[in-house]
Amino acid sequence: MLDQAYKISILKPFKPVIDAADAFFFGTDRITDSSPHILDNIDIKRYMSVVIVALLPAALASLYFFGIKALSLIAVSYIFGGTVEVVFSVVRKKEINEGFLVTGLIFPLLLPPSTPLWIAAVGIVFGVFFGKEVFGGTGKNLFNPALVGRLFITIAFPSVMTSSWIHPLTDAVTSATPLTVFKTSGEITPGLSLLFGGQPGSMGETFRIGIVLGGIFLMYTRVSSWRVPVMYLGSVFILSLAGNMFVPANIAPPLFQLLSGGLLYGAFFMATDPVTSPFTNAGKMIFGAGCGFFTVLIRGFSGFVEGVMFSIILMNALAPLIDHYVLQIKYKPMIKR
Amino acid sequence: MLIKNKTFKGGYRFLNIAGQPRNELVDAAIPKRVVIPFRQGFGNEVPCIVKPGDRLLAGQIIARDDDSVSSPIHSSVNGTVKELTSINYFNQVIGAAIIESDGTKDQLRLEGFSEDWGKLPAGKIEELIYLSGVSALDREGIPTRFRSSIISPEEVENVIVHGVSSEVFNISTGVILGGKNFFKFIEGIKILKRILPNARFQCALNRYDNKIIEESAKLLSGNGWIDIYPLEPKYPQGYDEVLIPTILGKKFPYGYSAANIGVVVLNIQAVIQAYEAVAEGRFLIERIIALCGEGFTDNYHIKARIGTQLRDIVAQKREGTIHPRFVLNSLLTGHQTHDMDLPLTRIFSQLICVPEGKHRKFLAFMGPGLKKDSYTRAFAAGVLGTSKSLDTNYHGEERACIFCNFCQAVCPVSIIPHIFYHHVKKEIIEETLLNLGIYSCIECKLCSYVCPSKIPLAKYIKKGQSMMQDKCFDRSLCVLPLFDMKGLEEYRGIK
Repeated sequence: MLDQAYKISILKPFKPVIDAADAFFFGTDRITDSSPHILDNIDIKRYMSVVIVALLPAALASLYFFGIKALSLIAVSYIFGGTVEVVFSVVRKKEINEGFLVTGLIFPLLLPPSTPLWIAAVGIVFGVFFGKEVFGGTGKNLFNPALVGRLFITIAFPSVMTSSWIHPLTDAVTSATPLTVFKTSGEITPGLSLLFGGQPGSMGETFRIGIVLGGIFLMYTRVSSWRVPVMYLGSVFILSLAGNMFVPANIAPPLFQLLSGGLLYGAFFMATDPVTSPFTNAGKMIFGAGCGFFTVLIRGFSGFVEGVMFSIILMNALAPLIDHYVLQIKYKPMIKR
Repeated sequence: MLIKNKTFKGGYRFLNIAGQPRNELVDAAIPKRVVIPFRQGFGNEVPCIVKPGDRLLAGQIIARDDDSVSSPIHSSVNGTVKELTSINYFNQVIGAAIIESDGTKDQLRLEGFSEDWGKLPAGKIEELIYLSGVSALDREGIPTRFRSSIISPEEVENVIVHGVSSEVFNISTGVILGGKNFFKFIEGIKILKRILPNARFQCALNRYDNKIIEESAKLLSGNGWIDIYPLEPKYPQGYDEVLIPTILGKKFPYGYSAANIGVVVLNIQAVIQAYEAVAEGRFLIERIIALCGEGFTDNYHIKARIGTQLRDIVAQKREGTIHPRFVLNSLLTGHQTHDMDLPLTRIFSQLICVPEGKHRKFLAFMGPGLKKDSYTRAFAAGVLGTSKSLDTNYHGEERACIFCNFCQAVCPVSIIPHIFYHHVKKEIIEETLLNLGIYSCIECKLCSYVCPSKIPLAKYIKKGQSMMQDKCFDRSLCVLPLFDMKGLEEYRGIK
């Protein structure tokens, strides 16, 4: 068995790695010692696998549209992200968390298909390191690590990250995503082509019907809460409906807003990250609505064409505060003074 | 009246679990020897009034104390007292009598019972219920004028009779209410109404037991004092702490007993046994228990004399190949026992035997999971409705909390278990925890069950409670000012 391997002295420092591999392949023989005598069959590995299964339609579509480019980006992300995770768990002598399996897949799907591999590597390393590990690892991070990485390379390499896109069906290089087209000319791309992935964009965000299906699967398995995506998409819908009435030049109509850019991907897979969103139910609703508000605001009135990333990161920062106030309202003081 | 659609927030329904007992009742043979503890069910330990060598008849009282909160204890067989000793009964040392039986089946009857119980005075009915030992059943006992409960019969405002079957394994209502028993159940409720005249009755049943609900509604709805509630059988609906808010809409004084707010909660079996005491003169010396779980080769119900040792009940029923674990009454909250000398007492209703899951499985977390139970619908069994196997394996490694909120979603008392975990782990013990409801925890252990990170949340909450106590944030702070509590002096005595 693998769990005997670290008794060899050279391998001792790698105990977390060996333990993780051992548990991954062979499961556990640990049994309950007192009540409850039985435990649910779900574990973090299965939990994370569910997210990966939900991401599969989007990931497979990106492989179909962008081929080897997509595959190499995903590989780079897993290799470099995994290395950071492993190094950290060895240095800190803590167990490896399976959460990185999800981060490693979410991150490359956020990238434009033409992203150079070294930039992707920088992004994932920065994201895992500064987005997660410095806070103390899985469960303690304030921001979504994939988003931190994506945001970092967007700001560090703006020309690479925003100006060159590949058209999924023709492989032609273009400088405009549907959102850029709207911002510059006010022209609206038809919804059906957006839904089935015929428009340029980040790798994972183009095949929108697959994202919706994956998102629904996540909610069905209870791994993600319906509250965040429903409030997020709902608030975008309502705000852009109202905004489009008053300032049609800046704010696109609701259906186009919903189907363009990374909104669906963000709403179903990134805003729902349990660690970085509020844990109270009411907090989740406020969080979703806040994300929607900032998305419409940034898309409509800022220099950036897309606001999903910024809005989620911004609301990530507010999540603990939201929870604090929700708890204060829900649980009143017991001892009256 | 039939009142539908009452339920509570949270909870989890254990569905299609393999090892449920069949609808069959087997009479156990009279054991050669029985062990009768002097404390069974609700009440204090009572002093013994027999000595070694005494001849006893089945039903004869062997221990009794009318001055403390308790009910009498009987010999369950005809035979001789062999020895008076003390036994370790779930981490408590309790006095017990060992009686050697002569194998005969006949038993004493109570004096003055009558099938025409309507003609008996209420005082006589109370005496019959007390002397039969039925008054010790369930968590608070049945109040009579003989200090069998912490409150008097006049103080009882509500009686909840329940057979919700919300546990993982349940005794089958088909068996308990089968044949003549349904009539006994209906009459039993009427008997209890006689001795608890000020009480309204609520009968909580499993909403999927259509026939029983229909018939009870037909037979009972003529009475203005009883309502029937078909409830969703999700765990832990059968808990007093959940039944009372669900049915009565009252707050529960968590950590105290239902009797403190004038409510008595009884099982169907207790009601039937009350009828048998009053109308048939039977002493409480037998109990129906369900043998549940895949550790047994066959799952059915067994009617055995109280004091029968487990070894006599499970003899030849253990599967040879697997290492089993025996658990009493509930897989989530029950005690585990290896001691096959343990006697069956009034508190037994299920004996559960599940395989120990000590074996490792290759790529255990993958695979469709056709026999795996989960709160998440991430396994095929949850979608297809196939029958699910249970064992004691952890099914995963302990990991950091990722705020998945499963614990919060299943919590029947609307607290957020993972907050307490984070506080207790870092030893941040402050008044906030009181406000967040650390003392509302009813230890149903559902949070520990569903946690994908395998964190023992319920244990952390319990630890947090004792740490709070050390800091003088006592449980009573969030109960006593808010409730008009009855029988409080007695309550402390019982604890």
